[in-house]
Amino acid sequence: MKRARTLFATAVGLAAALSLTAKYAKQLQASGQFPDVLSSITPNDFIGAGLLQPYDRTWLDDHFTDPDGNAIKGRSYIPPTNAQIIPMIFYNKKIFAAHHLEVPTTWDQFMTVVRTLGKAGVTPLQMAGAEPWAAAYPLSGLITADVLGENPDWVKDRYAGTVKFTDADVVAAVSKYRELVTAGGFDKGALGVNYNDANTQFLAGKSAMYPMGSWLIGLIPPAGAADFGTFLLPSAGGGAVVPFTTGGTTSVSAKSADVPKAMDFAKAWSLSRTNLKTLIETDGAFPMLKDVPFDSFGAKVTPVYTEAYAYVTGGARKVSAFGEVNNDDALPAGLVDQFNAMAQKLFTDSDVKGQLAAFDAAWDKAAN
Amino acid sequence: MPSRTPRGGRSLGLAPLAWIAVALYAMFLLFPLFQSLFWSFTDKSPLQGKSDFVGLANYTDLFSDDLFLHSLFFTGIVVVSVTVVANTVGLLLAMLLNKSTANYRVMRTLIFIPQVLSGVIVAFIWRSILTQNGLLNVLLVKVGLVEEPVAWLGSSGLATFSICVVVSWITIAFATVVYTASLQSVPAELYEAARVDGAGFFGRFRHVTLPMIAPGMTISVVLCLITTLKLYDVIAVLTSGGPANATQSTAYYLVTAAFTDNRFGYASSIAMVLLVLTALVSYSATHVLRKREADL
Repeated sequence: MKRARTLFATAVGLAAALSLTAKYAKQLQASGQFPDVLSSITPNDFIGAGLLQPYDRTWLDDHFTDPDGNAIKGRSYIPPTNAQIIPMIFYNKKIFAAHHLEVPTTWDQFMTVVRTLGKAGVTPLQMAGAEPWAAAYPLSGLITADVLGENPDWVKDRYAGTVKFTDADVVAAVSKYRELVTAGGFDKGALGVNYNDANTQFLAGKSAMYPMGSWLIGLIPPAGAADFGTFLLPSAGGGAVVPFTTGGTTSVSAKSADVPKAMDFAKAWSLSRTNLKTLIETDGAFPMLKDVPFDSFGAKVTPVYTEAYAYVTGGARKVSAFGEVNNDDALPAGLVDQFNAMAQKLFTDSDVKGQLAAFDAAWDKAAN
Repeated sequence: MPSRTPRGGRSLGLAPLAWIAVALYAMFLLFPLFQSLFWSFTDKSPLQGKSDFVGLANYTDLFSDDLFLHSLFFTGIVVVSVTVVANTVGLLLAMLLNKSTANYRVMRTLIFIPQVLSGVIVAFIWRSILTQNGLLNVLLVKVGLVEEPVAWLGSSGLATFSICVVVSWITIAFATVVYTASLQSVPAELYEAARVDGAGFFGRFRHVTLPMIAPGMTISVVLCLITTLKLYDVIAVLTSGGPANATQSTAYYLVTAAFTDNRFGYASSIAMVLLVLTALVSYSATHVLRKREADL
């Protein structure tokens, strides 16, 4: 952070001003101190107020493999420099081998794995349920696989009002989450487990599978990486559906005292191979720079990374990870928090239709 | 240096300083307060410079907002339980520690530590105790009191209970100090006179201690009420308002409405309701306790 501020001040000659969370950026804006360059924000919240400067089309086309990965109504406010898969299922190969289990490719196979592990006294699925965002991953994974896997424009259709959360396909996907809970897929006390403890438990072999963002790869110690693998949640329609999230780094304030200089800095920062190398090694990020061979980053990666990266470079169907994207499929402001709370609620509440009806009502209120 | 003397020969004394204090008070408290009141009648967003007047819409919306109503209910539970527990335990501890030897002074200092620590730090400490593999569960499982770890933060009931315990732990420290100070101001002669009159322990407590510490009790109860009504930091660290918004206090919901939902005007109306509620509760509690002081 200190290095970033120094680099920024040196590069553009402006007062260093970086914001690293959406909430903090909003607090700064509310107090008249909106920063020149921002990171880790949700652009959808800010563009309505004309606060962000879009990147120019030519630059995006020239440098990125998916120039529209973060596009909102045709304009990009975050350079699509890297990607994540949210969630993917990490699994412990030793536990699978000990119970003669194969990587499941259908929902029935997946449930068989869950039940077999449960009967054997192994926690089938790890969940960091004390963190609302992490508690939502199994649910968002199911909606992505079964609903967006069938109709990648589902979120846009929801904005248009042509589909609803109470539709049969969403109810079926969410019911699978309840099926997992009632089958003993998660520890009964999973909602009391925080992120650090969940990681520790999974990496120590105390649970067999873990639906988590691909950044978990960066936390797997290289020495033990051979014990872990990844797969995608089996979809209702069959075939692999990749819950894809195009990430990125810096957004630029349209209200900056010197927009061109701030933009120059943001572009240079986004294309920095050193930055991306760090993101690859520590955050499990998948680079999305055009014509830049992976080896040229000089990043040291584990076999888990290589296995996961194949979902990005291969032919698997990529759709927006529900609730996790910064493009036209982003949810209305405040809805991600409500979705996360609903996921926690559904851990103990079997009223799937009632919860989804309430979420429909919340959507209509937030989107209008 | 001689003070400036106006016409009539009277010195200004400390009046200029007092006016500066009043000006600062107006600038840093009254102005934001009235600004917030004004915003509560608008649809202001933290992202937009302009906003429209919406009349009482934010206030009427509050009463059909389940999340807000639940946050009030949750806050009420915490306020009542923490105030009762903190003051009862605080008074008991103060009576136990009401000695002037070095040992007791050390113990009083130790008990006051939670009040000195930031709420965020206290919450982080308790988080490591209450989490699934935390100290408490390890202990309970080891001694065989439970077979499986208890989800202290993982169910709505237990998470609410845990929040009440943590906030009580912090507030007990404050109550103990207030009650200790009050007890130390009770003249020993009163106890001796009561003893001569044949009063036992409970008689002395009822007829000497309680009346004499009544002003301290008023301070402790009212400050406990105010502190818990605006509870935010412990919630943010311990549960983030979860699971499923079960432990979302009104102050926590206010911040979410303002900076996650982008409803600054709506959040301002929550702030106004919270302000009025705090004022009413504090005034009522002070009124009742003062009346009790006079009766005693």
